[in-house]
Amino acid sequence: MNDLSIAGTQSTPAVSGCWEAGTLSMSGDSYPENSFEFFGDVIGWVERFLAESERPLTLDLRLAYMNTSSVKAMMDIFDLLGEAHQRGRSVAVNWFYDARNERVAELADEFREDCEFPFAITADAR
Amino acid sequence: MHAEHPAGPSPADALEERIAALLADPAHRDNPLRAALAELFEQSEAQRERLERLIRIADGFHILERSNRLSLADEYDRQLRRIEKIVRISDRYQQSLRELSESLKDAALRDPLTGLGNRRFLMERMKEETERCARSGTGYTLAIADVDHFKTINDRFGHEAGDAALSRIADAIRANVRDYDLCGRWGGEEFLIMLPATDLDTAVGIVERVRHAIAAVTSPGGDGVAPLSASFGLTAYRAGEPYSTTLNRADRALFAAKAKGRNRCDCI
Repeated sequence: MNDLSIAGTQSTPAVSGCWEAGTLSMSGDSYPENSFEFFGDVIGWVERFLAESERPLTLDLRLAYMNTSSVKAMMDIFDLLGEAHQRGRSVAVNWFYDARNERVAELADEFREDCEFPFAITADAR
Repeated sequence: MHAEHPAGPSPADALEERIAALLADPAHRDNPLRAALAELFEQSEAQRERLERLIRIADGFHILERSNRLSLADEYDRQLRRIEKIVRISDRYQQSLRELSESLKDAALRDPLTGLGNRRFLMERMKEETERCARSGTGYTLAIADVDHFKTINDRFGHEAGDAALSRIADAIRANVRDYDLCGRWGGEEFLIMLPATDLDTAVGIVERVRHAIAAVTSPGGDGVAPLSASFGLTAYRAGEPYSTTLNRADRALFAAKAKGRNRCDCI
């Protein structure tokens, strides 16, 4: 089974990676006690997908609060996407935010800086 | 050192040519020095080649080292930019968190209807003020106010009218105490006023001013509304007692004010 599924908790986002569809979704707050362990699985999945599959990869993110190590892990993931993009792989990020919280959009914009692949920041219609 | 010399032969090259010419000249074939010179010349040529190889290899290492250093410098710059970005993003998250915590703190201590401090706020401040008075030997006076016949307003005009009346009363209290006095909603239709470093006589004047301001508030709800008023119980902090004792005494004074016909202030 190549799909990734991690149930969300108060301090960790729900993660769902679908190998067939080429999508990785993350939603919730992120301040794990051990972020290297938590994001290790996610980063591993992205690395495997990019190495073993030829399909496009899309990240759907609904992340509200992130602590510093989560910010770093997310940038590691974006770096992987950036390298894949340079090799000609089709990758994209969709960052959705609650329209009541414009702050998150500004933060997503900070993340987007230096990213050369498609990176959309969209208010969530919920 | 081993580079070409487009400007002309170097002295070393000229010497080499001269020796080569001498060795090749048949006139010197039988010269007893010729064999030794030939051997020396050969040795010198070998040394020269060796030196040139050495320099080529050393140059190769040097170039490699240099490009390594450049790529390390690039990598260092890249990591530095990355760390700056992480810190920037993280700082912004922290900033939003701090603002959220500020607004939660405000919500936890403020009564949403009147905008005054709530019971928790008042308890904290009374505790602080009591401790401060115990240390400095100063005092404060405490007034508790209860809106007269509030239940009638609610029953006759509805809770919305009751809420509006409480808001206006709160405004009247806030507008008539001094900047350094504290006021808040103790609960229901009860309000508390704390007057730091104020004796009873002065406090009576301020409370009377508040009482008149409340009596002048026009009650919402249209015609036939009973005029608003409030009764007050006032007391001074007595050295050494906990604030709950002061509060109980103010409560007894309030009870007396109610018993004596309301819309008045009694002191104990």
